[in-house]
Amino acid sequence: MQEFFATLWRDFHTAFIEDNRWKYIVEGIQNTLILTFFALVLGVVLGVIIAAVRSTYDQQYERMTGPAKPFLAVGNWICKVYLTVIRGTPSMVQILIIFFIIMASSNNKMLCGIIAFGINSAAYVAEIIRGGIMSVDPGQNEAGRSLGLGYVQTMWFIVIPQAFKSILPALANEFIVLLKETAIAGYVGVTDLTRGANIIRGVTYQSFWPLLAVAGVYLIMVMFFSWLVGILERRLKKSER
Amino acid sequence: MSDNIIQVNGLKKHYNGGEIRALDGVEIGIKRGEVVVIVGPSGSGKSTLLRSLNLLETPTEGAIIFDGVDINDKKVNINLHRQRMGMVFQHFNLFPHKTILQNMTLAPLKLKKMPKAEAEAKALELLKRVGLEDRANAYPSQLSGGQKQRVAIVRALCMDPDVMLFDEPTSALDPEMVGEVLDVMKDLARGGMTMVVVTHEMGFAREVGSRVVFMDEGRILEEGSPDEVFGNPKCDRLKEFLAKVL
Ligand SMILES: Nc1ncnc2c1ncn2[C@@H]1O[C@H](COP(=O)(O)OP(=O)(O)O)[C@@H](O)[C@H]1O
Ligand SMILES: [Mg+2]
Repeated sequence: MQEFFATLWRDFHTAFIEDNRWKYIVEGIQNTLILTFFALVLGVVLGVIIAAVRSTYDQQYERMTGPAKPFLAVGNWICKVYLTVIRGTPSMVQILIIFFIIMASSNNKMLCGIIAFGINSAAYVAEIIRGGIMSVDPGQNEAGRSLGLGYVQTMWFIVIPQAFKSILPALANEFIVLLKETAIAGYVGVTDLTRGANIIRGVTYQSFWPLLAVAGVYLIMVMFFSWLVGILERRLKKSER
Repeated sequence: MSDNIIQVNGLKKHYNGGEIRALDGVEIGIKRGEVVVIVGPSGSGKSTLLRSLNLLETPTEGAIIFDGVDINDKKVNINLHRQRMGMVFQHFNLFPHKTILQNMTLAPLKLKKMPKAEAEAKALELLKRVGLEDRANAYPSQLSGGQKQRVAIVRALCMDPDVMLFDEPTSALDPEMVGEVLDVMKDLARGGMTMVVVTHEMGFAREVGSRVVFMDEGRILEEGSPDEVFGNPKCDRLKEFLAKVL
């Protein structure tokens, strides 16, 4: 028994303390958070554009006149194709394509990762935003328009502020989903948290501690952010008038 | 015809490629200062007609001439015309994330570029008229149904409209609150506002209606003064309808 604990301790020492290997884990946490955060930022930027094009098409196309009409139709078509492709293929495959085909000449692995996960996330963010906008009572839009406000003004002052309440928690959840998804970034060389564990495994020839530690760190991060989302949701509920 | 502020000609609204004919050739003229009350069974096209007047519904066919301009023409900037037509909905449609005062001043601030102090003074003045000046900083959810509808009416009035459209403004209210909303509308009518009102409140129609219009199956079947329509109905459908509601 004593021997068992002694071995366990020795392995722990080898995995994290010897040669300051714990630094791989800390760097991994940092990179995973950076990757997730900026991928979500990119996802939100692209997602808002896609949602804007799709919602405008759905609500305005029939009444539209003038030169912008064919552009909107083409834009809507591109967005639809984008959503279909992104949601219809595994993210691992998408990431391999970005790394080894589209951005093959880039050495900045982190940037590639942010772009790959951002493009992937945008498809989901777009639907979150569209869903949030559609969840607002159509009477709100009609009330705005009947006062003489234009489509964009009505969206901006009336519909979007109300859509935010359902969009914000869903976006925060997307951050958590993305945090776990980025674990595959290690396969293309981003030194994220999972990759950190794999590096330690490679040099120490043992798996127990590195993998357990990484699982624990992911769990703690997810629980922490879920707790924050919970607070956010309660706050938004409270402000519901 | 030229003194009509609204003239509707051959108005049709079809759904599902003509399978549903919500409006099937409506002709009506509305003079300045008139209070036109539209009655009819559920599904007869009353809301569709009212919502077509400010183009919340796009007609399938026909012309809606508002103050000399056919607003169903695609070249017309409908937003400018909507500023002159206030609308009150069955379910109030106040903006829940804005205070009563903000609800009322949003459009004047954004569209008329009115200074904030002026817009607020005007809103407070209107709130006073409907006895709600002390609720200016409340949110819609803190108001009763009757109060919400009174706010919805004065919110529309903030834009100084030439015409006010009402779609069953008291149908979603508890019975004890119907009176307070009708009183505001009667006041408005007596003040000379041009009004088009869809309602089941026959007492209101009798008291302030200049004309009652009976609709059925997307058409106007009969119209006339309240006394004529209620006292001496001609078509059978109207007689049937009145037997049910009176
Ligand atoms: N968006 C729609 N799609 C299909 N049918 C509709 C739509 N809106 C209204 N209708 C139909 O048009 C008819 C008239 O509706 P409406 O104007 O709401 O009647 P009312 O207000 O007199 O009760 C009804 O038969 C209704 O079912
Ligand atoms: Mg109706």
